[in-house]
Amino acid sequence: MRLPWLLLGLALLGVALPLGADEPKKADAKPTTGEAKPLQIPYRLTETKHVLIRAKINGKGPFNFILDTGAPALFVATSVCKKLGVAPGKDGWGTFEKFEVEGGAVLSKAKGRIEDPFQLEGMNSLGLAGAELHGMIGYTVLARFRIEFDFTKDKMTWTPLDYNPPLPRGLDGGGTAGMDAMAGMVKMVTGLLGKRPKPEIVPRGFLGFAWEEKENPKTEAAEIVVNSVVADGPAAKAGLKVGDVIREFQAKHVKVANDIQKLANSVRAGDTVKVTILHPETGPKAEALTIQAAEGF
Amino acid sequence: MKRWPAAILFVFLAAAALRAQATTAQLEANKPVTVPFELIQTKHIAVQIKINGKGPYRVIFDTGAPVTLLNTKIAKESGVLGKNAKGGGFGLFGMAGQAKIKELQVGDLKAADVPAIIMDHPTVDAISKALGPIEGIVGFPFFARYKMTLDYQAKEMTFVPNGFNPPDVMASLMTTIMAMMNDKQPPPKILAPAAQWGLVVTKKADDDEPGVTIKEVRSGSAAAAAGLKAGDRLLTLDGRWTDTVADTYTAAGFVKPGQAAKVVVKRGDKEIEVAVKPVSGI
Repeated sequence: MRLPWLLLGLALLGVALPLGADEPKKADAKPTTGEAKPLQIPYRLTETKHVLIRAKINGKGPFNFILDTGAPALFVATSVCKKLGVAPGKDGWGTFEKFEVEGGAVLSKAKGRIEDPFQLEGMNSLGLAGAELHGMIGYTVLARFRIEFDFTKDKMTWTPLDYNPPLPRGLDGGGTAGMDAMAGMVKMVTGLLGKRPKPEIVPRGFLGFAWEEKENPKTEAAEIVVNSVVADGPAAKAGLKVGDVIREFQAKHVKVANDIQKLANSVRAGDTVKVTILHPETGPKAEALTIQAAEGF
Repeated sequence: MKRWPAAILFVFLAAAALRAQATTAQLEANKPVTVPFELIQTKHIAVQIKINGKGPYRVIFDTGAPVTLLNTKIAKESGVLGKNAKGGGFGLFGMAGQAKIKELQVGDLKAADVPAIIMDHPTVDAISKALGPIEGIVGFPFFARYKMTLDYQAKEMTFVPNGFNPPDVMASLMTTIMAMMNDKQPPPKILAPAAQWGLVVTKKADDDEPGVTIKEVRSGSAAAAAGLKAGDRLLTLDGRWTDTVADTYTAAGFVKPGQAAKVVVKRGDKEIEVAVKPVSGI
C-alpha cells in the first residue's frame, strides 16, 4: 500500500503551510468593495475535493485558486507572476494591483506570497485535481469576508467586512525537516509517475430539440416527448417533430428526463446520433432518425 | 510512462477494494451550532475536538484539506486505531491508513462516522512544536456536511446540517491513480451544459479580451427570447466568467433547465444584462 498512501499524502497536504520566519508586517491592502453587500462567488470542487475559485490578477487570467484556511496568506505561483510581471521582494511577498475573485470580490494592492508550494506542484504534475492550480487563497484574503460554504449550492456567499488583516507571522526556528522530507517525497513520486496526460476537453454538441417528461395517458408510464425543435437545426433536418416520443437515444432506452439527459451529455459536435421515435399520428411503428450534431449549446 | 510491475497494480486494487462504503450524512437537529475558534500565530484556525468522547484535542480546521487527519497518538487514545496497531507498512510519518471516527465532536457539534486518515503530518508537527499541541486536521469530510459560515473577526463558525453527502476523496484518488497506471490517453472530457440555450460561441486563438463572441443565436431559442444577438460579446453567464469557449460550457453546466440565469453581454460600448431561462434539451 505504499504508493497510494504516498500519493494521497501529497494530494491532501494542501494544508497548513507555515511561512518562513518573516517579520510581522502591516497590511496595506484595502477592499474596494465598500458596501457590505453579500457576493455570490462561484466555486467548484476539484477531483481532490478542494474548493476551487477563480481570480483575475491585474486583468489577466482567470487563474485557479484553492480556498484554504490552512494557508496563512494568498499564494500565487511563480509562473503566473512571471507572466504578470510581478516580482517578489526579498521577503518573498509580491503586490498585486488588482486581485479580482470571480463573483465580484475585488482587492486592490493585495499582498501575496510568490512561490510554488510543493503540494500544488505535485497535484499539477499528476493532474490530480482535474484542473491546473495556480495558488491558494488563505487568511489574508479570507479574513476580509464572512464566508458561507454550502455544497448543496453552486455558489458561496462572501460578505465583505470592514477589516484589514495583518500579514501572518511565520514559525520562528526549526521544525521544517519533516516538511522538507515530505517535499522531497512528493517530488520523487511525481518523478516516478511522470506527467499524466491531460484529457482532451471537448464542448458538447448541439442537436436542436427540447423535451419534457410526460405520462403516457394509455400506459401511465413516463415517456420523453419532444416539445420544441429549433428551426433548421440538426434535429429538424433529420425530421424530428414536436410531439414525437423518444424511445431510444444512441440505442439506449429512455423513459425519464434523467435518462436522456445523461446520454445527451456525451454527444460531441460532429457525432452522428441515432434516435428512435414514435410519431403519435403514425401509430406504434418506431422510426429511426440519424441526427448530425452541430456546434453550440 | 513506465510499466509498473503487476504486483504494484495488485496493491492498488486491494487498496481500492478496502474502501468502505460512502458515509451517509447524519442529519442532526437543524439548528445552527456556533463553534468558537482560536486564530493561532500562523493564522491557522484551531478548534477543540473530542473523538469518541476522548479529548479535548486541539486541531487545525482546514478548508483546504480534503481529509480529516489524526495523529497516531490521539488515534490510539481515542480508540480509532487499535492500541498496538502498526503503520500500514509504510513507516514514514506513521501513516496507518484510513479509519472511521464513530463520533467526532467539534465544539458542541457532533458528527457520526467521519472518515479520517491517521498520520503524523510533518507540518502539523512543526506548528505543534512551536505553538503548543496540534493533534490533527479537520477537513472536508466533516465540514461539507454543513452549511458553514466562517467569520475570522468574530472568531467563530456556525454549522447547519445541509444534507450534503461528501464524496470520498480516497475513492476518486484511486480512480485517478488507476488511470495513471495506464499508458493510455484519458478519455476526452465533454463539457455538457445542463440545458439548451440556443447559442453558438467562438473565440479566436489570438483574442485576449474578456468574454467570447456570440456567433449565432438559434431562432426560437431561450437565448433569442431573452434578446441576445449574434455579435454580442458574452462576458458572464450566471455570474461566471466566460473568457473561453470551454469556460462558457462549464458555466452553462451549472444552470438547470427552467432556471433564470443572469447573462451579461457587451453590445457596442454598452454592457447589457438579461435573464435567460434555458430549457431541457440539447
